[in-house]
Amino acid sequence: MQNPYIPYPVELIKIVTEVDTKDIKTFRFAFVNKEDAEKYKYIPGQFGELSIFGKGESPIGIASSPTQPGYVEFTVQKAGVVTSALHEMEEGTRMGLRGPLGNSWPIEFLEGKNIVIVGGGFAFTTLRSLINYMIYGDNRKRFGKITVVYGARNPGLLIYKEELEAWAQRDDIDLNVTVDKGDSTWKGREGFVPTVCREVAPSSENAVTVICGPPIMIRFTLPVFFDLGFSKENIITSLEMRMKCGIGKCGRCNVGSKYVCKDGPVFSLAELDKLTKEY
Amino acid sequence: MEKRLIKKDALTGIIGKIAADTTVYAPVKVEDNVLFKVLEKGDEPLVTLANTKNAPKNFFFPRTEVMLRYTRTTKGMEFSGGEKEAAEAVIFGVRPCDARSFVLLDMLFDQEKYKDPYYIDKRQKTTIVSLACAHPPYATCFCTSVDGQPVSSAGADILLVDLGDQYLAEFITAKGEKLLKYFGDAKADAAADQKKEAIAAQAEKEIKVQIPAKAIKPILDVNFEHPFWDTIYQKCLACGTCTFLCPTCHCFDISDEMKDGDGRRLRNWDSCMFPMFTRETSGHNPRTSQKERWRQRAMHKFKYYVDNFNAIACVGCGRCVMYCPVNIDIRKIVEDISKL
Ligand SMILES: Cc1cc2nc3c(=O)[nH]c(=O)nc-3n(C[C@H](O)[C@H](O)[C@H](O)COP(=O)(O)OP(=O)(O)OC[C@H]3O[C@@H](n4cnc5c(N)ncnc54)[C@H](O)[C@@H]3O)c2cc1C
Ligand code: SF4
Ligand code: SF4
Ligand code: FES
Repeated sequence: MQNPYIPYPVELIKIVTEVDTKDIKTFRFAFVNKEDAEKYKYIPGQFGELSIFGKGESPIGIASSPTQPGYVEFTVQKAGVVTSALHEMEEGTRMGLRGPLGNSWPIEFLEGKNIVIVGGGFAFTTLRSLINYMIYGDNRKRFGKITVVYGARNPGLLIYKEELEAWAQRDDIDLNVTVDKGDSTWKGREGFVPTVCREVAPSSENAVTVICGPPIMIRFTLPVFFDLGFSKENIITSLEMRMKCGIGKCGRCNVGSKYVCKDGPVFSLAELDKLTKEY
Repeated sequence: MEKRLIKKDALTGIIGKIAADTTVYAPVKVEDNVLFKVLEKGDEPLVTLANTKNAPKNFFFPRTEVMLRYTRTTKGMEFSGGEKEAAEAVIFGVRPCDARSFVLLDMLFDQEKYKDPYYIDKRQKTTIVSLACAHPPYATCFCTSVDGQPVSSAGADILLVDLGDQYLAEFITAKGEKLLKYFGDAKADAAADQKKEAIAAQAEKEIKVQIPAKAIKPILDVNFEHPFWDTIYQKCLACGTCTFLCPTCHCFDISDEMKDGDGRRLRNWDSCMFPMFTRETSGHNPRTSQKERWRQRAMHKFKYYVDNFNAIACVGCGRCVMYCPVNIDIRKIVEDISKL
């Protein structure tokens, strides 16, 4: 029996500071043992437990895509004990990684449909994974039109800047990056995510919205999609609850009878309607 | 099924002989409490006690348990060892309600997809000798309201029934049969079976409390928001006694502990009654007051567990009723819910 609580040893091979405030970094890990890399088969939308011996563990969404073999990436905001310890680390350090955990973005359900991705702030991480998965090589043919609306408070807080530029060059993604307020060098769009969604107005015809961001953004964005005719089955999001075990045992992360770690974190609005509003 | 009859006064000797060969845990008086503890030479196992103060879940899901160890190396902290393998053991004198709690905990810890190796290892290596309640010991017992029975072998490997002048020993599982050799060769006859049936029927009648625990699930399904929840929690001190003593509560925390260059990751019992249980780093807490926490406790036992495993997560042992310092009574709460 494989012990799901014992992390795979990983080595931190690359650190990218994503934002001007320096409190959000992307950490790239390689597995110390090749066979572990084989076992760590994940799907966009899943998460891992970053495990620092002596400090503890944190559940973090997987930011890389399975189409990028050889490593796994996580984008982490410095918050408490574990994430602060992580932010202190240097390339070459060894630590642990558990998972992959949770369900995932419903890839099969998304296939053949037009996909609208809406992200706010650094909650963009698993959406980035999904985008990179969908546009990789032949995968692109399995999905219809891809529209992305991604916003941050100011240009310095946008993450994955190089990738955003690369995506902007492609003609098979409709990329809309926005900031609440620009600065002297910002040439892009200004405006809140809900407003931009209303302007971009993606058709709900054969379309699914995948949305992740701060609660306030989600609250104001959902009515836009209802107005556009999206049904609750076709709006998908990801929940966050305090977690420990990540496998439905420690009893910490339930919303109603579902454990967010095991039955989630991804739910459609229709599914969430059936759960209690305790999150 | 193999069955044996043993003389009343032979039981202590049998337990002693098993204890000479394997680790045996049995109820023993420790200061003012009766607790399960390793039986050592000279210890007197209590064969007629009512029940232990703590639930025996501790044997498979200890209050504190090392999950893994690590040590400092030049490359940073590295893993240095997993869990200790459990040794074979026998638990003697588990009451049927507590034995059934193992069946309920198995549903959670031994699932198809995610298995909990710490729990499963100990569970598989432990033989449960259950002691039927010929006379249900407490006024707070309500096992029959939650699918239990005072004379029942659910969760047991061997069931002992006090027939008055002797014990009937039923060897329920293959694991139980391995201990057959200690129990002599007086095979039980049909008369013993009949006597057992009569005792079981009488014991069931002696359970004074009946609560509508099985009827409230549909009510809970639609009453997550109900003013009733505003009425039950005020007295609660959030002490966690109810969940720590409960044989079916399984929530835990995981924490790290370092000393010099070595460290270990531990799991400790935790409780949904504690304010910090669901508090996130941002300060956001989905359960802001004791109201939400009590609702979680009630919902988890009588709805969520039923949704997930088709079983109520309460065995009716009455511990939480007996030991709550402010006398919050889960039986009363179930009663009240049934009238919503
Ligand atoms: C499915 C999921 C995906 C996430 N993805 C990301 C991500 O991509 N990037 C990111 O920066 N953050 C993410 N988070 C939030 C992140 O897990 C917490 O910020 C982090 O655990 C805080 O840990 P800490 O040790 O630094 O803080 P402390 O307050 O010191 O931690 C205490 C412990 O409580 C638990 N905990 C506290 N807050 C949370 C929380 N919000 N969610 C879950 N567990 C918590 C953890 O076990 C943590 O180690 C995600 C959370 C979930 C549930
Ligand atoms: S034992 Fe009583 S006071 Fe303590 S947490 Fe439970 S209900 Fe509250
Ligand atoms: S809820 Fe109370 S009565 Fe039921 S099993 Fe737990 S401690 Fe015993
Ligand atoms: S994190 Fe332990 S049950 Fe979900």
